[in-house]
Amino acid sequence: MDVVLNQAFAGLSMASILLIIALGLAIIYGTMGVINLAHGEFVMLGAYTTWALQNHAGLGVVTALPLVFVAVAAVGWIIEKVIVQRLYTRPLDTILATWGIGIILQQAVRLGVGAESRFVRGPQWLSGNIEIGALVMSNYRIFVISFSLAILVVTWLLMTRTEFGMKLRAVIQNRGISECYGIEAKKVYSVTFAYGAGLAGIAGALITPLFSTIPTMGTGLVVDAFLVVIVGGLGSLMGTAAAALLIGEVTAIFSIVINDTLGRIAVLAGIILLIRFRPRGLFPSDIRR
Amino acid sequence: MQSRLLYDIIGLALFAGVILFGVPALFGYDGFELNTFSRYLSLAIVSMALALSWGTAGLLNLGQAATFGMGSYAMAMHLKLKASGDNLPDFMSWNNVEALPLIWAPFHSLTFTLLAGLLIPAAVGGLIAIFMFRARIAGVFVAVITLAFLVAFQLVVIEQQGLTGGQNGLTGLAPLVLFGWSVDIYSLSFYYLVGACLMIALVFGLYLTHSKFGLILRAIREDSERTRYFGYNVANYQTIIFSISAGLAGWAGMLYALVLEFASPTYMSVSFSLAIVIWCAVGGRESVLAAAVGAILVNLAEGRLSDVFVEGWHLLLGVLFLMVVMFMPRGIYGVIVDAGRAMRRKPVSKKEAQPFETSLNPKRES
Amino acid sequence: MSQLEVRDLHVTFGGLRAVDGMNFDVEQGEILCLLGPNGAGKSTTLDLICGKTQPTGGSIRFQNLEISQMWEFERARLGIGRKFQVPSVYKELTVAENLSVARSVKPGIWHALTSLPVRNSAKMREILDLVGLADKIGEPAGNLSHGETQWLEIAMLIAQDSRLILMDEPTAGMTIQETDRTARIFRSLKANHTLIVVEHDMSFVRTVADRIIVMNQGSKLAEGSIQEIESNEAVKTAYLGH
Repeated sequence: MDVVLNQAFAGLSMASILLIIALGLAIIYGTMGVINLAHGEFVMLGAYTTWALQNHAGLGVVTALPLVFVAVAAVGWIIEKVIVQRLYTRPLDTILATWGIGIILQQAVRLGVGAESRFVRGPQWLSGNIEIGALVMSNYRIFVISFSLAILVVTWLLMTRTEFGMKLRAVIQNRGISECYGIEAKKVYSVTFAYGAGLAGIAGALITPLFSTIPTMGTGLVVDAFLVVIVGGLGSLMGTAAAALLIGEVTAIFSIVINDTLGRIAVLAGIILLIRFRPRGLFPSDIRR
Repeated sequence: MQSRLLYDIIGLALFAGVILFGVPALFGYDGFELNTFSRYLSLAIVSMALALSWGTAGLLNLGQAATFGMGSYAMAMHLKLKASGDNLPDFMSWNNVEALPLIWAPFHSLTFTLLAGLLIPAAVGGLIAIFMFRARIAGVFVAVITLAFLVAFQLVVIEQQGLTGGQNGLTGLAPLVLFGWSVDIYSLSFYYLVGACLMIALVFGLYLTHSKFGLILRAIREDSERTRYFGYNVANYQTIIFSISAGLAGWAGMLYALVLEFASPTYMSVSFSLAIVIWCAVGGRESVLAAAVGAILVNLAEGRLSDVFVEGWHLLLGVLFLMVVMFMPRGIYGVIVDAGRAMRRKPVSKKEAQPFETSLNPKRES
Repeated sequence: MSQLEVRDLHVTFGGLRAVDGMNFDVEQGEILCLLGPNGAGKSTTLDLICGKTQPTGGSIRFQNLEISQMWEFERARLGIGRKFQVPSVYKELTVAENLSVARSVKPGIWHALTSLPVRNSAKMREILDLVGLADKIGEPAGNLSHGETQWLEIAMLIAQDSRLILMDEPTAGMTIQETDRTARIFRSLKANHTLIVVEHDMSFVRTVADRIIVMNQGSKLAEGSIQEIESNEAVKTAYLGH
């Protein structure tokens, strides 16, 4: 029972990381229909930026967060401007292009920083644990969970309460008409892509104290995050959150009930079956795109 | 439009001339070089198989490496059994497997192996296709499903160590004996065997693309919905081409296992699948011949350049691929077709035709 | 027995009753025109007959066969052809290839695998002469003008040779001369084909229609000859809003 409880908590913290990654992926896919296969590499970039900031500037993980967000968002913004923007009329090619971008980023980091694992220290002030009975919750993981909820709320406010969010929703529904009313769809796309990339960067920063940082770290994460996006259904932030929770917990429980590989295969089978039978996700929004 | 068929036949004849006579002469019949080139030719088959499903029918199969791997394992299982004689294959005893697993037994037979290496991938491809296309899955979702299948399949192969040799794959293989001829993979005859397989595959592929079947597939690629209202069972057409493509990939895999003398899960990886997509895209996915040429050129470049830029090669390949996707979505083939069209419109001097040739290799400057 | 019998046909899209209890028959060899204001459910009715949309209730019988649960391609094989409102031809294929795809007497895979596409035949030239595209036979359809694209799709339907042809606004974007030509073609098709035509151009409807059905809010408002419809009070009210 204790094992299950602690595993459930670990699942919750994994779910919150997945949520941040998946939010970015979902916003990018929902807005411009681009399945961003380089998203995992944005996570990786976030992790390496954190490592660099800690080693060269002595910044802690939490202090580095805003800088990491800006840095990775800037990378995303440039990639959108230079590459993705030219491919909006060719959706199948965006998959290939973002795949290529992912390889380039991964190899560039491998060449520049090296292939060996890098380690980042967690923040001192979050080093303890909170114990409730047999349940041991590390303060850092609690921080990650609360931070991801905060990001969810901020993203929701951004989408529903700001002028940018209104423009974004207008562009999603009908790009042509929105442009007639003076909304610059191109600008909206760039900002959205940058925001999604920035979120991935934050996720990368947050996981550095939990996992070792290697150039290929993003590949596995993006698969899970992608599953979250399809399970959650498009255009629904709450669906994404619910799906992240579901996948995070299921993976955590699976890895103690059966082994990791089988858990992984189950996740992949889940993706395949969901696309086949519920292409609009388990929690679809009502509006037809 | 009959002229397109004519150009393809001329192109195939030129290609066959270069491969069958030019290449062996150029390398002075050197066994090692011929073996390397046989490797490229077998990879050309899997690239051309992808052109059939992706270029003709618009179905981007990112799991091509899985069916390729099935073929290579089929061949390797046969050769492993041959090498082990009456004993159990060595890796099985390391994994505490007591008796030969049931699915290994029929691979004693060469006929079974050759059929299995072609038909099992074709059947698996067909099943995935039925699963997807009955539900009218299209576009990027085909890519995602096949990619997920590939990753899961590779995990299974690595996991089942006692059956597949796990991460190490199948090594220590015996040479193939074909009608009493013990195949020497460094011989000219072996080079011609692989070359003949490629030629047969290309003729078959060219026939398919020029037949009415190919025309219907191009119609489906452009507007599958519309094609249904002309009475075509779109899902069946997609399933057949997907299955043919998977079968050819399996065939290429068998040849590849022969050339390398081992089978490994590396060739079922996502990055290998991506490599196939790159070859096909560089050559031009609309033409099976161009896709085959693309595979040979990229691998030739990799063979030459990866010695020079050991670390940077993958980075270079990524940049090349990105450039092709962005600026040459129809590959080298598209550049040639556009150049040909431009010349027919108004006869241009050779000087004006130059820019097309330089844009053939956009990565050279970078 | 009529060629097509539609009984109590319903379809709803998220609460909107797009077609709400349609009943009508179509006789072999007639031209039936569907009229009605925008959103009356005319195109949806065609969608239901050709299988683009699944009905939520009711029956469609074609040549005494219930077709409402069949796949689109099965209905097409029975002899139902469809022209869409937005001309849908294959822009990357040539005019000849478009016709070759449309000419689907044998739509099976084995036949397709064992034959080469027809690129030029007497039949094909005859159809292209009829619609005035004879000199464009090798041209990619993407190079055609909007009017020519309309003609090409009509030519494709003639090549398909369906017994029942569903035409959605075939004259949209055509000049008066082109419309006249379409009317002539339709009348010549009548001998061997049945046509259901959705159209707004009243002069065109007057020339071709044997019978007219006026739809409003998803159901049938009036039915009869052109004279009967033009003197019908309910139709005037629906159109003019009195």
